[in-house]
Amino acid sequence: MKYIINPVRLFILFLLVLSPAYAHVGSPGVIYEGEAGPYRIMVNVNPPDVIPGTATVQVYVTNGGVEQVLLKPIYWFSGADGAPKADEALPLAASPGQYEGLTWLMSNGTASIEVKVSGELGEGTALVPVMAMSTAQKEMDPALGWILGALGLFLVILMITIIGVSVSDAVVPPGDEKKKTGHRKTKGMVVAAAFLCLILYGGMSWWNNWAEDYRRYMYKPYQANTKVVTTDNGRKMIFEIDSAYKEYRQNYLPISYLIPDHGKLMHMFLVREGSLDAFAHLHPVRTDSLTFEVDLPPLPNGRYFVFGDIVRGNGFHETITDTMEIMGLELPVSLTTSDENDGWQPSDPDDTYIISNPVLPNQVQLAAGDIVVCGKPGIRTPLPDGSSAIWEHEGESFQANRLYPMTFSILDPDGEPAELEPYMGMMGHAVVMKHDGSVYIHLHPVGNYSSASQDLIKRRMEDDSRLVELPSADQFRDSVDQVVASIKAMSEEERNDYLMELMGHTYEEEENGEHAGHATVTFPYAFPEPGNYRIWIQMKRNGQVLNTAFDAVVE
Amino acid sequence: MDVSFQAHTATKKVRSDSASVKMLGIPLFVFATAFASLSIIIGLIWDISWHTSIGRDGLLSPPHLGMYLGAIVSGLFSGYQVLKTSFWGSKEVKQRSVRFWGIFSGSLGALFCIWGCFAMLTSAPFDDWWHNTYGLDVTILSPPHTVLLLGMMMVQFGAMISVLAMQNQTIPAGLSALQENKRNRLLRTIYVITSGFFLVMLYTMASEFQSRHDMHGGTFYIVGGLLYPFFLSAIARSSKLKWAATATAGVYMLVLMLLAWMLPLFPAEPLLGPILNDITHYQAFDFPLLLIIPAIAIDMIMQRKEENNKWLLALMIGPLFVLLLLAVQWPFGDFLMSPYARNWFFAQESWYFGSNPDWEYRYAYAPWMVSSGWPLIKSLLIAGGISILTTRLGLHWGGWMKKVMR
Repeated sequence: MKYIINPVRLFILFLLVLSPAYAHVGSPGVIYEGEAGPYRIMVNVNPPDVIPGTATVQVYVTNGGVEQVLLKPIYWFSGADGAPKADEALPLAASPGQYEGLTWLMSNGTASIEVKVSGELGEGTALVPVMAMSTAQKEMDPALGWILGALGLFLVILMITIIGVSVSDAVVPPGDEKKKTGHRKTKGMVVAAAFLCLILYGGMSWWNNWAEDYRRYMYKPYQANTKVVTTDNGRKMIFEIDSAYKEYRQNYLPISYLIPDHGKLMHMFLVREGSLDAFAHLHPVRTDSLTFEVDLPPLPNGRYFVFGDIVRGNGFHETITDTMEIMGLELPVSLTTSDENDGWQPSDPDDTYIISNPVLPNQVQLAAGDIVVCGKPGIRTPLPDGSSAIWEHEGESFQANRLYPMTFSILDPDGEPAELEPYMGMMGHAVVMKHDGSVYIHLHPVGNYSSASQDLIKRRMEDDSRLVELPSADQFRDSVDQVVASIKAMSEEERNDYLMELMGHTYEEEENGEHAGHATVTFPYAFPEPGNYRIWIQMKRNGQVLNTAFDAVVE
Repeated sequence: MDVSFQAHTATKKVRSDSASVKMLGIPLFVFATAFASLSIIIGLIWDISWHTSIGRDGLLSPPHLGMYLGAIVSGLFSGYQVLKTSFWGSKEVKQRSVRFWGIFSGSLGALFCIWGCFAMLTSAPFDDWWHNTYGLDVTILSPPHTVLLLGMMMVQFGAMISVLAMQNQTIPAGLSALQENKRNRLLRTIYVITSGFFLVMLYTMASEFQSRHDMHGGTFYIVGGLLYPFFLSAIARSSKLKWAATATAGVYMLVLMLLAWMLPLFPAEPLLGPILNDITHYQAFDFPLLLIIPAIAIDMIMQRKEENNKWLLALMIGPLFVLLLLAVQWPFGDFLMSPYARNWFFAQESWYFGSNPDWEYRYAYAPWMVSSGWPLIKSLLIAGGISILTTRLGLHWGGWMKKVMR
């Protein structure tokens, strides 16, 4: 049996730290695992929650005698030529191979960190997309508030005093102490107090305006309305992006400028609220610039979390969230994924769903045939097709803000390492969700960034113009729709080859690389906060998508 | 006034302190606050240049240290002066001070400096919090920056008032006639120097409305009429120097010109993206306004008509100031846009690293920047009216400054 557990990942397990902010939902850190030329690296970017601000970047290099690691922020807006000189990430004495540095992100928008490693093996670079957006509205720490308040009060009292003595004592010749100036002092102090009150009021209004402006330009995700309609072919979900949000976003790229990621314009995940026992990964089709439609799988009635991942034409990667109710006839819920038995004809060949046990033992188990029983870390879990999955982890609990290599191994029914196949150009997809839906993220083995964003910035860097020009929204949308339709029309093998080439690697390369043997898949991830999480894993074996799920407790 | 009493105490002071004799009876505190004022100005202009050339800010960046040095020097010297006077000062010394809060005594200048120092120190954590909350602002005017600017202005004003109190007091006995002359000259010179530093600060605060691109717009003259006649009239009235406003404007111009010539001598590279303008050296801050011309007019009027009704004076100075500013700055704006100003002397090639260097209006007035016809006349009338009021206020303020003795 051949489990590939990268010792680097295990090492990093205890080293890297993330903090909460935005991108996806409640999970801001960007993790990249891959190559920088001849070097194998893992990068962990903790973006600032207020722009302009600084991102903390941690780089772990696993091979070659490294001499220097440089970090440079490159914006899609101004390209490589508009980037400042790189900053050095310094080695951490206690952790050989680990480097840490700061990168300044000055403007909102799609950015990336170029990591350049140089050493005995030569030079190599990697590009990690980062979405630079202000996402936090901070309150003043009470201790600081008291200190500033006290200093402010002192300044006000002192200024009233100064003005009082300025018009009284100060203009009395030295020695002439008998001159009565008390009434002038009082008058001066009263006028000063009134004047200072006006200034303070003006200052307060100014501050409030500033905060209001900040809130206005803070990142707010698009809102959407989701509804389910019944058609002759079954139930259909209509996902409409709220057009009112266009107005506040007028400074940014309109929603018409979407680009596909892994060949799809939108990756949508549905999770049944509360029990989290029904999960679907769908790819809605765009019918106009704001509306997306998809044929719903036979999911049980209930209220669902809806997460729609999109990438805009400037590489900005974000998640639109909503909730929806599935009501009406209870359809037979018997399968873990689509096949001939449930009669569901997915509108996209890569749409899948899974029914598993509820998260809490006292919740009612769905009456379904092939329920996937969720696994726990370190415990071998049976899958419906006879194979089994195991999450390579000792113990059951995890620490928040620590990067973990979540490594999953699939064994075939004989207990041998299974031969996995790429699914949408990747060896695996994972979704991590906190039980209350406050944390959600879509992961891949290369990290949690969008390949489409990365590809777009790479192309932008080849263009040496300082400012970018885009075609009209209609032209852009039409050509993207054509590309998405042509990818969808490909055979599965063609589609996988196409997508893997687009992401800069081939299946053959993967055979010789980290995923050699194709029995394990690793998703690098750091849980942003404590709580109970469910993790859905999607891999492919014998042409069938294997959906599994695991539960984890994060402390 | 008990002149003999003053003379007696001053003589005692001079005799007991040989260092004071060397400085002509002018305490070290006065020189320290003047130095603090200069340090603040250099730090401020360097900081602006830092933001347009390098961009990356930090609480302890070298220009910030220049400003903090000013705060600390003025705060320490003033604090020491107040504490020494309050708790160890003789009755005579206390009688040359202002008393406050029942137990403290000190000079008025020291009080302004202490206020300024505390305001500057308060602004540091406030600004830090502000940056963490609303981002690293790249603007001169924000609430915490205003607290800082007010603090800096108060330190500078404290320096001015400290010199004024010396100037307005009776000359201490024990000095020879030569020393007396020297002392008077020195105090008058330090006063216009510290006033010039203050004028640099006023200009810097208003610089977002005073650039070469603003010189053909009405707002430029309204802002100009609001600030400069007020300050220059006050200086002309309070100083005992004949050409005080002219000298103050001269110091202002010299400081800005020296910094515009010196800063670009040092290498600088932008450390923040996006970079649209590739630069290798510090970008100079603005070339100064030619305030010396209207300042000469203010001095001439004040020399001849100072005793007139102050409203009448304001009516003469206010509109004349705006007209002269217009007559000088409008054509000078054209000159600054021309290729003749793109050299080390006028430093008009300076350009923020984040701005597009190929912008069509880099060296030209865009239509929206130019006022003409009735809107221009209206702006000039407003500027003239405001200028009359601010001149009157400045004269009143100058009258008070003339009387400050402690």
